[in-house]
Amino acid sequence: MKRLFSFLGPYRVAVYVALFLTIVELTVELLQPLLMSKIIDDGIMQNDLSVVMLWGGVMVGFSLIAFAAGVINSFYAALASQYTGFDLRTKLFEKVQSFAFSNFSQFPTSSLMTRMTNDVNQIQNTIFMSLRIMLRAPLLVIGSIIMALFVNVQLALILVVTIPFLIAFLVWMVRKAGKMFKAVQARVDIVNNVVQENLTAIRLIKAFIRRKYESNRFTIASDELRVKTVKALRLIEATMPVILLVMNGSIMAVLWFGSVGVNNGGASVGEVVAIVNYVTRMTGALSIFSMIVIMFSRARASADRIADVLDEEVDLKDADDQPNGSRITAGEIQFDRVTFRYPNKEKRVVNGLSFQAKAGDRVAVLGATGAGKTSMFQLIPRLYDLDDGTIWIDGQDIRKMKLSYLRRQIGYVPQEAMLFTGSIHDNLLWGKEDASLDEMIQAVKDAQIYHTIEELPNGFDTRIGQRGVNLSGGQKQRLSIARALIRKPKILLLDDSTSALDVKTEGRLLDALRTYSCTTIMITQKMSTTMNADQILLMENGTISARGTHEELMRSSSLYLKIYESQLGKEEATGAR
Amino acid sequence: MLDKLKEPFQQEKFKINTETTDEKGGSQPQTTKRAQDWKGTLKRIWDYLSESKARLFLVLLMVFFSSLFALLGPFIVGMSIDNFIVTEETTGLKWVLLSLALIYVLHSLSVWLQHYWMIQVAQQTVYKMRTNLFDHLHTLPIPFFDKRKHGDLMSRLTNDIENVSNTLNSSVIQIFASILTLIGTLSVMFYLSPLLTLITLTIVPVMVYGMKWITKRTGVLFKAQQKNLGELNGYIQETMSGQRIIKTFSQEDKVIQEFGERNIELKKVGFWAQTISGFIPKLMNMLNNFSFAIIAGVGGVLAINGVITIGVIVIFAEYARQFTRPLNDLANQFNTLLSAIAGAERVFTIMDEDNELIDEREKIELNNVKGEVVFEDVSFSYENDEETISGISFQADVGEMVAFVGPTGAGKTTIISLLSRFYDPTDGVISIDGVDTSSVKRESLRRQMAFVLQDSFLFQGTIRENIRYGRLNATDEEIVEAAKSANAHSFIEQMPDAYDTEIDAEGGGISQGQKQLLSIARALLVDPSILILDEATSSIDTITELKIQEALQRLMKGRTSFVIAHRLNTIQRADQILVLEEGQIIEKGSHDQLLGENGFYSDLYYSQLKSEVG
Repeated sequence: MKRLFSFLGPYRVAVYVALFLTIVELTVELLQPLLMSKIIDDGIMQNDLSVVMLWGGVMVGFSLIAFAAGVINSFYAALASQYTGFDLRTKLFEKVQSFAFSNFSQFPTSSLMTRMTNDVNQIQNTIFMSLRIMLRAPLLVIGSIIMALFVNVQLALILVVTIPFLIAFLVWMVRKAGKMFKAVQARVDIVNNVVQENLTAIRLIKAFIRRKYESNRFTIASDELRVKTVKALRLIEATMPVILLVMNGSIMAVLWFGSVGVNNGGASVGEVVAIVNYVTRMTGALSIFSMIVIMFSRARASADRIADVLDEEVDLKDADDQPNGSRITAGEIQFDRVTFRYPNKEKRVVNGLSFQAKAGDRVAVLGATGAGKTSMFQLIPRLYDLDDGTIWIDGQDIRKMKLSYLRRQIGYVPQEAMLFTGSIHDNLLWGKEDASLDEMIQAVKDAQIYHTIEELPNGFDTRIGQRGVNLSGGQKQRLSIARALIRKPKILLLDDSTSALDVKTEGRLLDALRTYSCTTIMITQKMSTTMNADQILLMENGTISARGTHEELMRSSSLYLKIYESQLGKEEATGAR
Repeated sequence: MLDKLKEPFQQEKFKINTETTDEKGGSQPQTTKRAQDWKGTLKRIWDYLSESKARLFLVLLMVFFSSLFALLGPFIVGMSIDNFIVTEETTGLKWVLLSLALIYVLHSLSVWLQHYWMIQVAQQTVYKMRTNLFDHLHTLPIPFFDKRKHGDLMSRLTNDIENVSNTLNSSVIQIFASILTLIGTLSVMFYLSPLLTLITLTIVPVMVYGMKWITKRTGVLFKAQQKNLGELNGYIQETMSGQRIIKTFSQEDKVIQEFGERNIELKKVGFWAQTISGFIPKLMNMLNNFSFAIIAGVGGVLAINGVITIGVIVIFAEYARQFTRPLNDLANQFNTLLSAIAGAERVFTIMDEDNELIDEREKIELNNVKGEVVFEDVSFSYENDEETISGISFQADVGEMVAFVGPTGAGKTTIISLLSRFYDPTDGVISIDGVDTSSVKRESLRRQMAFVLQDSFLFQGTIRENIRYGRLNATDEEIVEAAKSANAHSFIEQMPDAYDTEIDAEGGGISQGQKQLLSIARALLVDPSILILDEATSSIDTITELKIQEALQRLMKGRTSFVIAHRLNTIQRADQILVLEEGQIIEKGSHDQLLGENGFYSDLYYSQLKSEVG
């Protein structure tokens, strides 16, 4: 809860002004009965119209003041709540951007989305409402108790005893309901997750005609959300009846002890009536309390969920900025007995792997599915940290390099070509924010996609749909290669990125890459790609089982030979040898 | 300090164009039309609500009772003071207090029960809306999903529906109660003095005017707010799924900045929506006080002239207060309702999208297909763009294997998407066993096919569940059998829980190639007439691929199959190879025939061979 208030910090001024304005409103409100009694007693009762007009005028004036205060309050309250919401979303988003991949396993996308929108909304609404009504309830309750004490101490004691119990009850309610609403939000996550999966895999679902199956899955998730929500709301909606019961009970007590008091002279009838009146008023104020309780318990749950993200420790520690050290000048890469496991997994996917790629070399990585090729790749831009061993680039331990420097020198083309909504131009700028048109044309030419872009009706300004739906697989691949080339990286990592290209296009691409002075490591399945490599690494079970040039491996590695044969068909292979 | 004080009034104005409140979606303005007016939207929400009529009636009854008890309580308190405390009689008081206790308990009970039932009704309604929306999504055609941001659709299913939920939880009861009190007080007021009542009612036009001013703005603002929220959600979703790129390209600052722009938009709209909707209670309060002043003034004049008694004014003033309170509540609820409507409209807009199932109600079911596929002069373009394929004609006989070869972007995947009717051709006819596929139900068509798609997607859940997706009633043995044929068994066995290993959202620990193996295993469980393999083995190493080929050969036997592959040696066995370039078939024939033609294919083949040989 404290956390919730700390978010408000920067908007202290707005909060205070808003609270002050509610006090103004409240004062006017409390003066209202007094003015009314003046109008009735001194004016209407006395048949004196001028008094009616006078006090009526005062009343109108006061209500205008209250109105003005209320309207201005609305501005300040909205400012405080919307800005806090804005800050929370920004902080959450920035935090998530700083996450290492291992953190994402903790918070799936769907859950992060709920937290950034749904949960922040809850808090926003609570702040706004609080700044407008929160003060009112406690002030009214406290005021009423004090007034009651003035009237008759003995009878007022009944209230002094009851109120703490009620407060304790409300606190308990906020805690208990807070937990339940946390469960509700967790269900929202699950619902969100099913939706996300369904949207991503809509083709697959349609292809396998699993509409009913998925609908069933969603119904279960949705039903659980419903059940949890009903449960939480039912608990929280019991607040009002309980408050009513307790307060009405104290009215009865006041009446009973009042009658006893009147009998033995401890109280007057007028005092009893007055205290009953105050209790009624408190009941009204406490019903606002029950609203606040509902809001706070929801906000509490959401604040916890937001705090969970903000407090998440980022596993990957960025190195300090070093003035000279962090530049990659040559692009020499060295793996030294590197071992790696995915977070929370037991299997070592990279196991004691060592190799060296000289600056400007072209290294091809070959191996069976699941041999650890992509996992090894991800370690170079430090998407994950190693368990053991060291990766050196230009003689520096990559853990000692600033992440942004390290990654800026690397051109990475992932296996799944991921493009963003926006134009082709926008997508290329991902590689280099300030790329000129010439640089762009050069990059797409080298990536062998210039011709395609040229033929598009809007050229570079052609819009790409979500995940690049209107492009073919190979076009996406080449665009993502261009995106990596445009930054003229010192190290180029191609993760099976030419799989959808035919041999000729691929050949032209590989030739064009020669003009880049960078160390290239490429994962591939195709012999055509490996043949020109300076070094071929054959991976098996997370480690290198053979290395060398094409000719060397053809002689020394039976596995390599097998792969070669698998691609050419036996006769041609033997013939070619 | 001063700056901070000025801040709220320096917010950029949100331009409200009250004339055209409809969201200009751009691409399909017609479909949003139906969900436009708020009355219609309200009616649709009501349709959902009225499914629980009985419960709703109980709620109404309880609201009635609780209002009754709320009035009865003070009445008895007053009576007991007059009759017992003033007279100092304690014996009767006991009985009065007991009856009072009963009333209080009943009061609490009725308040509790009305919420108890209302929560059920509201959540049931929301649940219904949510599942309906979800079910509806699945009946929408693929192009719909191409156009919409997933995060925005997700926001509709959570944030927008949440808005409806919040409103329903409280508003219905409030509105009932307010109307009830309003009717009650109005009748008493009329009974006391029709004249004063009419005078009191003069504030109603002012109120209506004020409310119009406010809701005209909030209505638009709420809509804009939900839309911006959806857009923000869309951006979050896209950046989350693109984390790998953002990280490796070190573009965190860029996305944070872009996120900031959208975030500011939301803040701007949110600020005005909240500020203006906050005016309502203040306005009502002021009018309330005005009405009292008017009653006192006019009443005073009337009393002096002897038209009414002073007592009537006093009581009347009290009732006038009572009269504006429910009006105040109603005004507030009306505003909340607007925000619910803003959410509901976004939900209904999707539900009004044309449904694939409805427009194919008349279509026929395709059963027991043999698998003869004919394309006749088929053309296709996305959204009036250039044609991605044009004038494609070919025939695949029963049991034939047809392979598509050609440079990327030549239209290979498009042909397959048309065959499975993810899209419909803009021109030409596709028929299976002589039946035009546009005349059959899509699902019955796809039931004849098994797919391995280019994107190999795995669902959260165990490996076993993922393979079983191919055929839901497959036994565990069949699943293992399929995995063995797909060469996935050995790596599955190495996983900590073998077939029961959970695949997490990020798919960590499973490689792209392994995903493809699982997709193949999934397809192997199906017993189709037509088999579609779109780059099924592109990420799989060639040795494993060779092993899978045997299983695929077995599967293809007797079935018409369509294969897209870049490695030419995997398609040499094809009965027909169609070479595509720029959306057209440029060569057609078997491997040997095509080699003999010395065209594009033989060129491609020899270049591949040559590069291998070095």
